Amino acid sequence: MNDAVVHVAELRKTFDVPEREAGLKAATKGLVRRKTKEVRAVDGISFDIAPGEIVGFLGPNGAGKTTTLKMLSGLLYVSSGDAQVLGHVPSKRERDFLRRIALVMGNRNQLQWDLPALDSFELNRSIYRIPREHFLRNRDELVELLEVGDLVKKPVRQLSLGERMKVEIVGSLLHQPQVLFLDEPTIGLDVTMQKRIREFVAEYRQRHGATVMLTSHYMADVEALCERVIVIHHGKILFDGKLGALSNTFAAWKTITAAMENGASDLSSYGEVIHRDGDLVTLRVPKADTARVTARLLAEQAVLDLNVEDPPIEDVIELVFAQENRS
Amino acid sequence: MRALVSTMRAELVGAGGVVERNYYLTKRYIWWDVAWFLWTVANTLTIVFIAKGIEASGGNLDVNRTMTTLLIGAVVWAYLGILFEFLMETVAWERWEGTIEYTFMAPLSRAMHLAGQGVFAIAYGLLRATFLFCVCAFLFFDLTMPNAQFFPAFVVLLVSSVSFIGIGMMMSVLPLISPEKGTQLGFVAQGTLLVVSGVYYPVEVLPQWMQWIATISPATYALDGIREAILEGQGLTAMWDELLPLMIIGVVSIPLGLWVFSRGEQYAKKHGKLKRSG
Repeated sequence: MNDAVVHVAELRKTFDVPEREAGLKAATKGLVRRKTKEVRAVDGISFDIAPGEIVGFLGPNGAGKTTTLKMLSGLLYVSSGDAQVLGHVPSKRERDFLRRIALVMGNRNQLQWDLPALDSFELNRSIYRIPREHFLRNRDELVELLEVGDLVKKPVRQLSLGERMKVEIVGSLLHQPQVLFLDEPTIGLDVTMQKRIREFVAEYRQRHGATVMLTSHYMADVEALCERVIVIHHGKILFDGKLGALSNTFAAWKTITAAMENGASDLSSYGEVIHRDGDLVTLRVPKADTARVTARLLAEQAVLDLNVEDPPIEDVIELVFAQENRS
Repeated sequence: MRALVSTMRAELVGAGGVVERNYYLTKRYIWWDVAWFLWTVANTLTIVFIAKGIEASGGNLDVNRTMTTLLIGAVVWAYLGILFEFLMETVAWERWEGTIEYTFMAPLSRAMHLAGQGVFAIAYGLLRATFLFCVCAFLFFDLTMPNAQFFPAFVVLLVSSVSFIGIGMMMSVLPLISPEKGTQLGFVAQGTLLVVSGVYYPVEVLPQWMQWIATISPATYALDGIREAILEGQGLTAMWDELLPLMIIGVVSIPLGLWVFSRGEQYAKKHGKLKRSG
């Protein structure tokens, strides 16, 4: 893909991690000869992201998500392979590149804790060379969109986690980046705040045509924002495609939830009963058999209502990782 | 040419932003700084009292002159401490606060980033050093300095600051490559620099190998120049023996400091050391 905003080919990152056995003897031995183990944090991944695309980058802890985002932001050098963002090699720290990207990390902060966010915004204005009138316009627009007018004058230390995240986002977007790397932006936030951040990301992308790469452990974030997901585990890509195709590829079943006239009926001959709540019964059936089982249920049982669904995305992701671990 | 001027201007604005942020942070902690200033005063007094102690135990010395000599050493020690602290904090403080990744991702050249740190450190350090000198010399001991030329002394300290900043840049790489203990090594560097430079004694009393190191230490020329200005009343024109080496060391140490820092940054980015701690 030539016009890709993010281009990654055979990207690898390895670290030499020190390791030793427990105990005094091993510790003393380590003084003379330190043993290290090579860890492949990212192991030959390739993908392209088109302009304006919003991609979910999923994986369990230690899968290589943050390492990848750091390489794409120029904070880590690649061990081998190719990474380009907006046509730039991130590690070169070209100003034109740095001024067009933003990395937002949910568990880090760019705003000084002891200063009101407004002071840190001023620093960003100087560093990102934002003309004052643009700066004021962007700042006021973001402050309004995220409803943080009362918060930006308080020292960041005194804000709640959710409030801090919102002002962090304002700080990261003052220079209107074209590419956003969002690393767990909703981590630790309550459901309402998560929703607000999701809505904001969608709105920002729509307004500015930004390309977004998002990592999150909350599938609600991914489902609300991403059409495409890349699943990474042990540094390797397991899946790259439409979110809807993920369950088709990895989950060989669907769930049928039926409201029965008599909830006591034995439905085990139709599929695996995975949940029963009064007259509401949930069955897991092989995907290929879904139509046949549904028809049988309707014909043979007193069904009041029936709903066929793909399995929840959390279950599918869990299944993907479980399959990978087994292999 | 216009592009170059524009880039330079933008870089200076960025460095100005770093200075401004340091001002805000210092202002935020101003009462802590007052507390630290009191500690520095106490520390300086313990050193200056040594001259009185020697006299009281029967030593034959010009007490006023010795006290002034010791005071100048203690003030330069404190000044160097402030410069190194600010430069070490370029990495250490940001690592602790969790802002290090963002700072190193910002579109500001490392030279201007460090220059912003250095300029504020010099301004703040000079202010603190002046206060410290005045409080100890005039408020506490009532020292007499009939020949003192304060402006040349100030200029010598300012010129030597360029070299100190260069060395500070080299030191600030330590917390970059060693997140756990790198900051403490800055104190080792500060002490080592001053011990060979005649901080409280003439360089001539040192072993020969230390005297050789003293010739390449900017602190040697800074201490000599300041003492000549305050004790002997030397003017700037008579101080080329100090100013010239300071300028030469400054011209060498700044690019060397930047080079060392850039190598440290590359190492940190290769080994994944650019992350928060604490």
